[in-house]
Amino acid sequence: MASPIRILTAVPICDGHDSAINTINLEFIRHGIEVVYLGYHRSVGDIVRAAIQEDVRAIGISSYNGGHIEFFAEVIALLRKRGANDIKVFGGGGGTITHEDAATMKRKGVDNIFFAGTSLEEMTDYVRKHYGKLRVKRSRAKSADQELAHKLTEIEETHAAGRKRRTKSALSRIRDPESAIRGTKVIGFTGPGGAGKTTLIDEVVLRFLNQNPTGKIAILSHDPSVIGEGALLGDRATMINSQNDRVFMRSMATRGQAGGLSPATHDCLALLARSGFDYVVIETVGTGQEAMPFQKNGIVEETVLVMNPDYGSRLQLQKIVMLDLADIVVVNKSDLQRARTAHTEIEQRLEQNRRDQRLIDTVAKRHRDPGVDELFELISRGSK
Amino acid sequence: MSKLGQVVESIEKYNKFVLDHVKRARSDEQFGRELLGRWNDIKAKIPVTRTPTGLPLPRLALPEIDEPGEIARYLFGEGLPGEFPFLNGAYREMYLEPIREIESFEKNGEPPQRSARPPLPQAEEPTRLFSGLMLAEDTNERFHYLTQHQRTHRLSTAFDGPTLYGIDSDADGVFGKIGEGGVAIDTVEDMVRLYDGFDLGSPNFSASMTISGPAPIIMAMYIAAAKRRFGPKVVSRLRGTIQADIFKEVQAQNETIFPIEASLRFLTDMVEFTTQEMPRWYPISISGYHIGEAGSTPVQQAAYTLSNGFAYAEMFAARGISVDQFGPRLSFFLDCGLDVEYIALARVSRRIWAIGMREVFGAGPRAQLLKLHTQTSGRSLIAAEFKNNLTRTAAELILAYMNATNSCHSNSADEPFTTPSEEWIRLAAHGQAILLEESGIFKHTMNMLSGSPGMKAVERSVEKAILDEFREIERLGGVLAAVEDRYQRSQIQNAAHRYEQQIYDGIRPIIGLNRYRDGAEDTPEVKLVRTPRKRQQLQVDRLAKFKKKNADKAKHALDKLANVVERGENCFPILLEAAEVCSLGQITGRLQEVVGRFRPMV
Repeated sequence: MASPIRILTAVPICDGHDSAINTINLEFIRHGIEVVYLGYHRSVGDIVRAAIQEDVRAIGISSYNGGHIEFFAEVIALLRKRGANDIKVFGGGGGTITHEDAATMKRKGVDNIFFAGTSLEEMTDYVRKHYGKLRVKRSRAKSADQELAHKLTEIEETHAAGRKRRTKSALSRIRDPESAIRGTKVIGFTGPGGAGKTTLIDEVVLRFLNQNPTGKIAILSHDPSVIGEGALLGDRATMINSQNDRVFMRSMATRGQAGGLSPATHDCLALLARSGFDYVVIETVGTGQEAMPFQKNGIVEETVLVMNPDYGSRLQLQKIVMLDLADIVVVNKSDLQRARTAHTEIEQRLEQNRRDQRLIDTVAKRHRDPGVDELFELISRGSK
Repeated sequence: MSKLGQVVESIEKYNKFVLDHVKRARSDEQFGRELLGRWNDIKAKIPVTRTPTGLPLPRLALPEIDEPGEIARYLFGEGLPGEFPFLNGAYREMYLEPIREIESFEKNGEPPQRSARPPLPQAEEPTRLFSGLMLAEDTNERFHYLTQHQRTHRLSTAFDGPTLYGIDSDADGVFGKIGEGGVAIDTVEDMVRLYDGFDLGSPNFSASMTISGPAPIIMAMYIAAAKRRFGPKVVSRLRGTIQADIFKEVQAQNETIFPIEASLRFLTDMVEFTTQEMPRWYPISISGYHIGEAGSTPVQQAAYTLSNGFAYAEMFAARGISVDQFGPRLSFFLDCGLDVEYIALARVSRRIWAIGMREVFGAGPRAQLLKLHTQTSGRSLIAAEFKNNLTRTAAELILAYMNATNSCHSNSADEPFTTPSEEWIRLAAHGQAILLEESGIFKHTMNMLSGSPGMKAVERSVEKAILDEFREIERLGGVLAAVEDRYQRSQIQNAAHRYEQQIYDGIRPIIGLNRYRDGAEDTPEVKLVRTPRKRQQLQVDRLAKFKKKNADKAKHALDKLANVVERGENCFPILLEAAEVCSLGQITGRLQEVVGRFRPMV
C-alpha cells in the first residue's frame, strides 16, 4: 500500500482566521490525508522550514486578511531558494482574494486558489488528484534538513509498502547504533493524552536553544492515524519555540500501529540519532496504562513519563507500566488542586521500584517554570 | 464558589424577590395601594409628544396594567428605562427627539406650547463608523470624510494585521500586510498622523480603537501622541474606548500575543492607570461580537461575554480598584444577527449585568449599567445577490434599537466580498438615520417596541439558557480555568460547524444561497483598495528612521520597562515613557522576553 499523502496547512502571519482551515483539515484527514497543521499567524520562514522537514507534497495556505499575493509569492520563492521546488503551494480564503489576484498568484507559481463557497469535496479531490502520485525520482537535497527529510520519507514509504525494515539507501550505515549515536542523547517522552507532553518538550527545547547557542535538536513527534488512515499532525501549532532553524522536527502518524509509535519509528529514530544532533526527542501519542513504547536497551537513553494529576484513583497508578520503567516522572499541571496528592501518591508508587527514578512537578504552560528548569537540568546532566 | 457562581445565585434570588413582591402586592393591601399610587404618578408625569401629523403620543409607553401584582412585576422585574434592573434601557430617553411641544397629562387639553423654531438635536448621534486603511494619513483622510457632516466626531479605528499582533512593519514576511484591513501603526509618530486635525481633548471627540493583544502599548502611544499635540494636561480629558478584551481573543479571535495571565496583568495595569488618570476613557470593551462572528449561538455570545465581564470585574477589584471607579468605565460590544434570540439578547444581558454588579460586586448605580455598542452581523451577510444585505442589516438595526443599544454600527452590504466602499458605507450609515430620524419607530416614544408577549417569552428563555452556561463555566472552575480548558473555544467551534451544516442542509434558509437562488453571478468582481507597495515601503522607511533616531533612548526605556515588569509593579507609567521612543514591535518583543509568548490553542 502506498503512503498516505502528506500536506502541510497554515494560516499566514498576522492572520488569526483559523475556522475555515480547521474544517478543511478535518475533511482532509477523513479522506486519508495526513495533515501537518502549523496553526495561525505563521511566518514564511516557519512554513517553508516545516514543509521541508516534514517533506510534505504540498502546502495549503488559508488567507483572510490581505497581503496574500506577496505572502504566497514569498513562500514559493523561499521554497525554490531552499531547493524544494517539488513542494507545491495551493490555498484559498475569503472575499479578500479576487479572481484577478488568483490569476496573478497562479502566474507566480501557486497551483490553485479555492474561493469562498468551494465544496470540501472539491478540495479533497484536488489534493488527491494532484498530490497523490509517488515521487519516484527526487532531486538532490540542497541542505542537511532536506536530505534528512528525504531519507525519513523513504523509510516511511518503505514501511508503508510492506517491505520490512532497513532499506539499503537509508540505513545501511547503521551497523552499530551504540557507536553511531555517540554525542547524541535520545530522550523519550510518553504519557497519557492531555498531560502536556508537547508543551513540556517545547519548553525544554527553549531552554536548550538558550543554553547552547550553536546546539541542534531533533524532535520526532507522533499523532494517531484515524480510521480513514489520515492523521492530524498538530504538535507544531502549539510548539512555538521549536520553529527554529536549529530544531529539526518531524511529525509521524501511527498508521495503524498500537502502542504510541509508528511502524517506521524505530528506523527513523535510528537515522536521527546518527545525524549529528545534540538531542533527539521522541514524543509518543497519548498512551494507555499498559503502554511501554520504548524498547529496553534500545536507542532511547532516557525516558520521561509525563502525568496529569487527574489520573483517577490511587489504584490506577499500580497499573501504569511506564511508572516502573521511566527514568523521570513529571507531574505536569502541578498548579491544579489535585497536584499535591498526585505527587505524594506517585512518590510512594516509585519507592516500591527501588530505582533511582526522579519525580518532578512542572507547570509547563508557565513561562520560566522552575519545574521545567529542573527537568532540563536533569536531562542535560551527563551530556556534553 | 467563584464570583460567577455568586452571580447565578444573585439572579435567582432577584427573580424570587420579584415574585415575592408580586405576591405581596396582591395580598398586602397597603403595599398594593402604594404601588398603584406610584404607578399613576409615573404615568401622570409622562410628557406627551406630537407626531408630524399632529397625533399625540406619550414619550414613554408603559404596559396597560392597573393591578398591583403586575405593576410590581414590571417595576421590579424590568424597571423603567434608566432604572434598575435596566431591562428596558440604560437611560431614560435614548433616541427620542428633543421635546418641541411639551404637554403633560396634567396640562392635557390646553394648547401646546410651541417654540418658534424647533431646535436642532444636540445629543450625540449613536452612529459610530469603523475605518482603517493603509497608512495613518490615509485613514486620517477617511476619518475627515466620514465626519464632515457630523456634530460629534466619534472615530472607530481598525488596525492592520501586524499592528494587531504587536509587530513592526519591518518584521519578516509582513510587508504585504502593511495597511491591509486596517491602518498600520508602528510608532507614536504614526499615532500623531492618524488623528491629525481632530481635537483629541474636546468633549465632542472620542476615539475607539479595536485592538486587544497589544492594547496597553497602543493605548500608551495614543496618550503619548495626544501629549505631543496638546500638552500633558490633555490626558485627563481624553475620551474613547480601547477594546483590550483578552478573553474573547483566546476564545474566538486568536489575536493574543502574551500568555493569558501576563496579558491580563498588563490589562489591569492599564485599567488601574486610566481609571485614575483618565476618568472619561473606557479601557476595555467587553466584546461578544467576535464570539458571535466566530460562530457562537446568540446565547453563547451573551453568556461568554457577560462571564468574561464579571471575570474582569473580579480581577480589577482584586487589584484594589473600587468597583464604582472601574464599573462605569466598562463597556460592551455585541453582535446583532437575525436569529430570534436577538429580540431580547441585549435586554437580558443588561439586566443580568446590573443585578450581578449590584449584588455581587456592590456596585453603585453608575457601575451597574451595561453600556452597549452593537454591530450588525457580518456573518449574516453573503456575497450571492449581495444587495439583499441591505435588508438583512436593516432588520438587524431594528432589533439592535429594540434592545436600546447605546450606539450602533451598521455593516456595508458589500462587506462579504470586499473592503467596504464609500457608496455602501454611506448607505449603511443612512440606514440608521432613516430608522432613527426619518421613521417614527424610535424617535417619539421610549419602549415603542418593548414588552410584546413574544419578547417576554424570548427573555425568559434566553435568561435561563445564559444562566445554564454560567453554571457550566462555574463547574469548570470559573472563566480563566474554562478558557485554559478551551471550553468556550470548542463550544463556539461546534456551534459554527452546526450553523454551516444547517445552511448546507437547508434547515437554515439563506435567501439567494440555499433558497430562491436565481443563478445570478455569485461574487461581483470588484476592484479592491490595496495599499500600494510604495506606501508600504514608506511605512518601513519611516520606521527605520524612527528606530535610528531613538536607538539609545529606546534601549534605555526597554531596559527600564523590563525591570518594572520583572518586579511585578504596574508597568503602564513606564510603558508611557517607552511609547515615546520605542516602536510597537520593540516593546512587544521585549515584553515577550520577560513574560513569554502566547501558546496557541488548537
